[in-house]
Amino acid sequence: MKDYQTHVFTSTYTADVSGVCSAMYELGGMSVIHDPSGCNSTYSTHDEPRWFDGKSLMFISGLDEMTAVLGDDEVIIKDIAAAAADLKPEFITLCGGSIPHIIAFDFKGTAHLIEKRCNIPVVPVPTDGLKSYISGVGMALTEWIKRFADVKVQKTPELSVNLMGVTPLDFSINGNVEKMRETFEKAGIKVNCCAAMGESFESMIKLYAAHVNVVVSSAGRRPARYMEKTGGIPRVEGLPIGEAEAGKLIKAVREAAADGKNKIVYDEALEHEDWEVPGDGILVIGEEVFALSLADAINELPESERHGLKAYAIWPDVDEGLPEEQLMEAVKRSKMVIADPLYKVIPHDKAIKFIDFPHEAYSGRIYRKQIPVFATDEFDTAKLIK
Amino acid sequence: MKEFQYIKDMKYEYNADDGLAYASPVRGVWNIVHIGTLVPGGHQIYVCPTSCLRGVVLTTAEMGRMDKLSTITVGEDNIIEGNMEEQLLHGTERIIEELPERPKMIMVFISCIHHFLAVNYQRIYKILREEYPDIDFIDAYMDPIMRRTAPVVPVLWRQMTRPFKRPESWKKDQVNYLGNCFTYGAEYCDLTALLNKNGIKTLEANNVSSYEEYISMQESEVNFVFHNTGEKAARDLEIRNKTKWLRMHPGYDYDVLEEDLCKAAELVGIEPPSKEWFENERALTDEAVAKTKELLGDTAVAIDYTAVDYPLELTEFMLERGFNVESVFLDAITESEERFEKLKVKKPDLKVYGTIGWNIRQMDRSHEGKIVCVGQKSAYFMNSDNFVNVIENAGMCGFSGIRHLMELIREAYSEEKPMREIVSIKGWGCSCV
Repeated sequence: MKDYQTHVFTSTYTADVSGVCSAMYELGGMSVIHDPSGCNSTYSTHDEPRWFDGKSLMFISGLDEMTAVLGDDEVIIKDIAAAAADLKPEFITLCGGSIPHIIAFDFKGTAHLIEKRCNIPVVPVPTDGLKSYISGVGMALTEWIKRFADVKVQKTPELSVNLMGVTPLDFSINGNVEKMRETFEKAGIKVNCCAAMGESFESMIKLYAAHVNVVVSSAGRRPARYMEKTGGIPRVEGLPIGEAEAGKLIKAVREAAADGKNKIVYDEALEHEDWEVPGDGILVIGEEVFALSLADAINELPESERHGLKAYAIWPDVDEGLPEEQLMEAVKRSKMVIADPLYKVIPHDKAIKFIDFPHEAYSGRIYRKQIPVFATDEFDTAKLIK
Repeated sequence: MKEFQYIKDMKYEYNADDGLAYASPVRGVWNIVHIGTLVPGGHQIYVCPTSCLRGVVLTTAEMGRMDKLSTITVGEDNIIEGNMEEQLLHGTERIIEELPERPKMIMVFISCIHHFLAVNYQRIYKILREEYPDIDFIDAYMDPIMRRTAPVVPVLWRQMTRPFKRPESWKKDQVNYLGNCFTYGAEYCDLTALLNKNGIKTLEANNVSSYEEYISMQESEVNFVFHNTGEKAARDLEIRNKTKWLRMHPGYDYDVLEEDLCKAAELVGIEPPSKEWFENERALTDEAVAKTKELLGDTAVAIDYTAVDYPLELTEFMLERGFNVESVFLDAITESEERFEKLKVKKPDLKVYGTIGWNIRQMDRSHEGKIVCVGQKSAYFMNSDNFVNVIENAGMCGFSGIRHLMELIREAYSEEKPMREIVSIKGWGCSCV
């Protein structure tokens, strides 16, 4: 039986609550995490590179033992109403950590009461602090779309896409998002919305104007599925890492716009079950769409440029994370590992080539300056593994 | 709502931990991970949901000390199946078996969720102690939900001394300092200088080099405490081991400083400093303060609680000597009510900022004209590069401590520091880095 929970050496991915705040950060709202303490400083220190310079609103409720034991929701209702009356956010997002989860805090009901009291829309996002940011970003974007996006908005006259699941947790603030937009625009495809970086509350309302949703992070799957269900927008899953991968993605977008069918750009055979990746290859560890896209991009290279090796991907489970023992085995079996530098703490043979690829959702701000601009057709995949 | 209050409008019961809380990007103050990492040969295991683990893991990773920490994630399965005890036991066993070096002490931090699920963790520690008799297992807590009755930092300092057993005899040539993040050396601490002069060494978590030396602290007959955070540890050792203790007051009232030093000397059984020594110290300190005032002139000053334990006392001290102290940043009042009321009369328009209230997030972080800040938080909120970069008194106590603080204020006035880079560093000056 796999032990997903004990981590002797390895770090942990960002949690769902930070994912919610990250997704909502630029939309003019006020995010509140219902939790005792700590989640706000974790988010603002490790998970939110925009915190020092910005003035976006994110707070914690400061739940204490008596309030939790008595189930006194009036405390948070009153506190949020007081802050909202003063700060006047466009909307309020309410999510929570593990204690509200186990005391069965009613997110929807409380959101309704707050909304009635302060006349500001409140979006409940029932996180539990037990899952990864993928869950939090996905839930928050979906709930926001449900509440605010205009499903009847007119489609753009030209072919356009939304980039779904975009937060600094996967793309940092180093120009990745701008380059990703540029990649589509160079190919003549308009980026209608980038959910949710570089957008405003008003621009996000027009999400349904796009012809295709591009899921560039697994965090974007949930809102894209919702938009498919409610607006018939097909989704394409992939990331434009390097010229070949970008070319495949652009082609898939055009096809999806024409036939209305969902597409997956990367080689699905790279998906694995039970954490068993074949040995003697290149192991990519990271967020699912990124890891699969990078592995696919490597496999698109001529055999000589990838040292005759095939790339495989491993990514953390949204609910459980990574089972450390299986991960250690996978690292040991590989010739080359592409992963966040914090994975180097896994005991491994020096013959294994370790290529640093920092990921904000794993190592936070530690290696931020070394995060490459990868979400572009200009990314040189061959150089990465040279 | 304004981001500050004038002191004249405030009540003594003021506490900023009320309502939605904000976290500033100022990260210099130590957290439990930094403190726990001080124990040589120690290892920390945090047992919490992902959202709570993230902060402690990355704090450790930023220190480059992932070798001192492991984690056990609490998942939905544990909640539903009620198998938290098994998970804790088996996870700890696996960690011990896989670590390259056997730890001498393991601090197992459980979290808020364990209290609500009535986890019988003491039973697990009992099993572990029997299974690994060569390791000291410490029950530790990261449970901010209990912060109003059992705040995490003082509780950790207490738990860290739990391996101390009552010795057969006391070592007369050593005393302990409990609850200090920074070493109180002889240069800026009058008590250390006095003790060292009398052949007595001071042991603290941050100046011992091995676990054996750390445990040898149990043989000290006297514990000294400089911060509120160390009091729980001292009281606990008094009850368990009959170790005497004294609370020192790292403040700015000369009479109290003298009194403290005399009491300390009596407790340890040494001669207190002479009257002439005290007179000389007072004169030297006055001189240092006057020199600082002369340099600063009417330059505005802001003081915050992250730098000094008694920001209002320092404010009063500086106001009395002509400084233009304009604002104070604090989340609770640590001084006596009498001192607070006196200050209200002396400077009714003193601005008091809470640093964790929601209303401070969007404040205009600027100051008209130069301002010298004592502490990272005031520097951040005033957007000033002229600041004293000190956390928790940084080992300063007594006359020599005040003189050093004045020196740092003069330096802050004359030289700018890269505030953004400095305040963003977690656990400033943590000796385990």
